[in-house]
Amino acid sequence: MDIKNVVVIGTGTMGQGIAQWFLQQKVAVEMVDSNYEFSLKSHAKIFENLDGLLAKGKLQASEVANFKQNIHVKKLEDINPEADLVIEAIIEDREIKKELFKKLDEICSERTIIASNTSSFPITEMAKDLSDQRKKKFLGLHFFNPATIMKLVEVISGLETDREMSHKLFIWFNQKGKVACECNDAPGFIVNRVARNFYGESLRAVETYDLEKIKEVDQVIREVGGFKMGPFELMDLIGIDVNLSVTESVYRSFFDEPRFKPHRLQKEMVDAKRFGRKSKKGFYLYE
Amino acid sequence: MNNIALSTLVIIETTHPLYSQIAAHHETRSADEALASFKTYDLVFDLSALRTKNKITLLKELAKTTKAEIITDLTLCWGEMVLKSCPQVTGAVSLLFFSPTNSVEFSTKSEKTKNQILDFLKSIEKNGVEHTELKLGFHYPRVISMIVNEAYFALEENLASAEAIDLAMKNGVNYPLGPVEWGQKIGTKYIVDLLTEYSEITEDPRYRLSRELKMTGKNI
Repeated sequence: MDIKNVVVIGTGTMGQGIAQWFLQQKVAVEMVDSNYEFSLKSHAKIFENLDGLLAKGKLQASEVANFKQNIHVKKLEDINPEADLVIEAIIEDREIKKELFKKLDEICSERTIIASNTSSFPITEMAKDLSDQRKKKFLGLHFFNPATIMKLVEVISGLETDREMSHKLFIWFNQKGKVACECNDAPGFIVNRVARNFYGESLRAVETYDLEKIKEVDQVIREVGGFKMGPFELMDLIGIDVNLSVTESVYRSFFDEPRFKPHRLQKEMVDAKRFGRKSKKGFYLYE
Repeated sequence: MNNIALSTLVIIETTHPLYSQIAAHHETRSADEALASFKTYDLVFDLSALRTKNKITLLKELAKTTKAEIITDLTLCWGEMVLKSCPQVTGAVSLLFFSPTNSVEFSTKSEKTKNQILDFLKSIEKNGVEHTELKLGFHYPRVISMIVNEAYFALEENLASAEAIDLAMKNGVNYPLGPVEWGQKIGTKYIVDLLTEYSEITEDPRYRLSRELKMTGKNI
C-alpha cells in the first residue's frame, strides 16, 4: 500500500497537525473545514511551522518549497474524489461526524479509505449509515496531539473493516516513523481506556477539593511512578471539561461500568468553570 | 553500612522483591523467626507483604515481643485501619511495588520516624516521597494497580496485543513503562492482592479484577 494523497477534514489543532505530518511524508494534502476562513488560517500556520523548521535547520529550503506546493485548502465538494485516504478530525460530536461520513461516502470513489480520528466513538457506529462496500474501507486512525511529534497512531478496525487493509495501513505508518498499534473497536480504544484510572483513581485518592492533597498526589505519581506529569496537572492541561467528557463517553459506552464512573469532583470543577489552564483556574491557579 | 538506629531488625520474607538488596545491608528475619526471637531491638522495619487482617495480627503479636517502635509496609493494606489498630506503629512505607524511579512513598507524623525512614531508604539507595495522611492506602500502588488491571481487561477482551497496549501507552501518553510490563515488574500477584483488598474494604465494584490478571497473578 502507498498513500500519495490525503484529504484532512477539520483543521483545528489535530487536523492541522495531521495535515502537516502527512505533508512531511511527501504526501499531497487537501485541507477542508466547515469554516473556510479558519482552514486558510490553519494552512498559513502550517507554512509558518515549516518556515520555523527551516530556520532551525531541521528542513532544507527545497523541501519546504516542495511541501508548500503540495498542500491546498479545498471546500468539501471540491476535494479529490480519488484520494487514497480521507481523515476526519472535526468536532467530537457523533451526529455531525456521521453526517459527514455519509457525504464522503457519496463524494469519494470506491477505492478511497475513509478514517475517523475520533478519540472515543465506536468505529462500527460511525460506519453505521455507510454503503456496505465503504464499511470495509472505513476505520479509525487515532493520532495524538501534537501529531507531528507524538509517534502513536491507533489503527482501529470496526466490525466490518477489511482487516487486511487495516494491517497494510499499520505497516505503512510504521514505515513512515510512526508507532502504529492495531486494535479492535471498543470504547476509548487503547489509550483513552487504559488511561482513565490514571485520573479516576487519583480523584478518589483526594475525594474532595484539597489543594495540598492534590499537590501530594501529583508529586507521588511523578516522583514514585515516573510519570512526566501528575494526574491533576495533566487534567488542567487537557481541560477538565474535555477529560470529563471523554470519561462520560467511555462510561456510557461501557453501559455504566463502575471502573469508568466519573467522579463528582470533576463535575464540580466544570460547574465552577474551573476548566484548567485554558480558564486560568483548574485544580491549580494560573494567575 | 546503614546509619539508622544501632539495633534494627528488618522483617522480610525471602520471596520479597527487594530481599537480596535489603539483606545485604540489614539484619533480616522472616515474620515467624521474628515472633520466636527474644532479641531486643530499638527499631523494627516490618516489610511483610500482608493484607490488612493478617498485617494487624502480625503487628499485634510483634508488639507482645518487642517494645521497639515499628515502621511497617502498608502497600497491600487499609492504611488508616492498621494505624488505628496498632499504636506501636509510628510510620508506614510502601516498598513492595517496583518504582521506575527507585522512590518510595512513606507516611508518618513524627519527625524522628521520618528521619529513620529516610535513612533506611538511603541505605538501600532509594528516595522517599511523603504522603501526609494515610487513608485507604498509598497513592502510587492504587493508581498503578488500576491502570494495570484495565490493561488486563483489554487483553481479556482481545482489544489488542500486550505489545500493542504497552507501545500505545508509552508513545501516546508518555508512560515510562507499558502497563503490562509494569504489572510484571511489580508482580501481578501483588496487584491482585491490593485490588482484592480494596474491593473487600470499599465494596465498590470499580475494584473488580480482570479474570486475565487474576489468572496471571495466581500463577506466580
